[in-house]
Amino acid sequence: MVKVLFFAHLKDEAGQEEISIEGNGFTVAQVKDKIAADLGIATLDSVMTAVNEEFANDETIVSEGDTVAFIPPVSGG
Amino acid sequence: MRLFRLSAVGDHSNRIGEMIMNERYSRQTLFHPIGDRGQEKIRSKHVLLIGAGALGSANAEFLTRAGIGKLTVVDRDYVEESNLQRQQLYTEKDVRDKLPKAEAAKMHCNDINREVEIEALIMDGTAQSLEPLLEGVSLIIDATDNFETRMVINDLSQKHRIPWIYGACVGSVGMTFTIIPGVTPCLNCLLRSIPIQGMTCDTGGIISPAVQVVVAHQAAEALKILVEDFDAVRQGFTTFDLWRNQYQSMKVGKAKKPDCLSCGDAPTYPFLTPENATKTTVLCGRDTVQVRPPKPRRLQLDKLGNDLNGSGYVVKSNPFLLSVEKEGERMVIFQDGRALIHGTKDMSHAKAMYQRILG
Repeated sequence: MVKVLFFAHLKDEAGQEEISIEGNGFTVAQVKDKIAADLGIATLDSVMTAVNEEFANDETIVSEGDTVAFIPPVSGG
Repeated sequence: MRLFRLSAVGDHSNRIGEMIMNERYSRQTLFHPIGDRGQEKIRSKHVLLIGAGALGSANAEFLTRAGIGKLTVVDRDYVEESNLQRQQLYTEKDVRDKLPKAEAAKMHCNDINREVEIEALIMDGTAQSLEPLLEGVSLIIDATDNFETRMVINDLSQKHRIPWIYGACVGSVGMTFTIIPGVTPCLNCLLRSIPIQGMTCDTGGIISPAVQVVVAHQAAEALKILVEDFDAVRQGFTTFDLWRNQYQSMKVGKAKKPDCLSCGDAPTYPFLTPENATKTTVLCGRDTVQVRPPKPRRLQLDKLGNDLNGSGYVVKSNPFLLSVEKEGERMVIFQDGRALIHGTKDMSHAKAMYQRILG
């Protein structure tokens, strides 16, 4: 299983802070597609992704036991 | 005899001056990583602070109290009532006087520490207006409210080898990242593949503690850089949410891209070219300014409309555009990111209003 963490307003959209999915061998882009299909979160193309607390991009491959965190960037100041 | 006494008086007053100086920074110099040598370094440095809103005014106050040598504050806006809840340097009198933020920040910082030289620049921060300011600057602090200006800062930082500290906040969320040219990845490495429709304070609101946590991180990083303790500089990209109780520090060591156009092997500094800047045009005879993003965007108008509706704007929409109105100002936003700001001919004001909503 792969653990997925939702940051900030994504937590509200997901209705929970974290979920586990069958995602061994998925790219981050595929994880995003699955989340969009399962939870209806359509805004994941504009968020940053961390895999095991390390910056990742859409091509990064995730493995069993990994933690994927989605973090929406903010611009206010 | 007389001469001797005069010189003794002189020595005495010098000593008092020194004692006051020492007393002012005594708790900071007692902190071992700074010490007297660090304080001297802080005193000899010049910081460029871009933006004097929530992050900017708090950073300005902090640097002034810490005894920075020179501080240049750039801002295009003036103090409004809706700022007072979090922009803690400003007062009701500043609102009544409609003081430009840069000037108000200078005035209050002068009251706090008259030893600090403060330069207030009331202007729009663009590649062309910011680049001439970099001579002698040791550090740039980001206190802007939009990614376009941040990308300009990012390119200027790389081109002139000056560190900068990204900071941003919305709602209860904040994030910060320290960029050291030649060492860390840059903001373009991290964000280039992400189509940004970042939440802004006008769409997501903001609570004051989120500002302060970002500023605390930026200020600590600033001190490290100013005393040249580069080993202590935070390595990761930090994000927190004070309401949802989340905190994450993301490592970025592998994110530096050799082909990055801002910090890679053959940089072109793309955000310093006019083609990548937001364009503003006054529409003839209409008291309206058109604001056009550098590249067409694909805005989610329904989501934007909902966000703005929830934060006090009167929103009307059809499938092609949003019309939003607040405090007598009306703006029409098209799906490609173009907007018409009605009731003004001031291009800088129109751009500020646009970026306050669309980031």
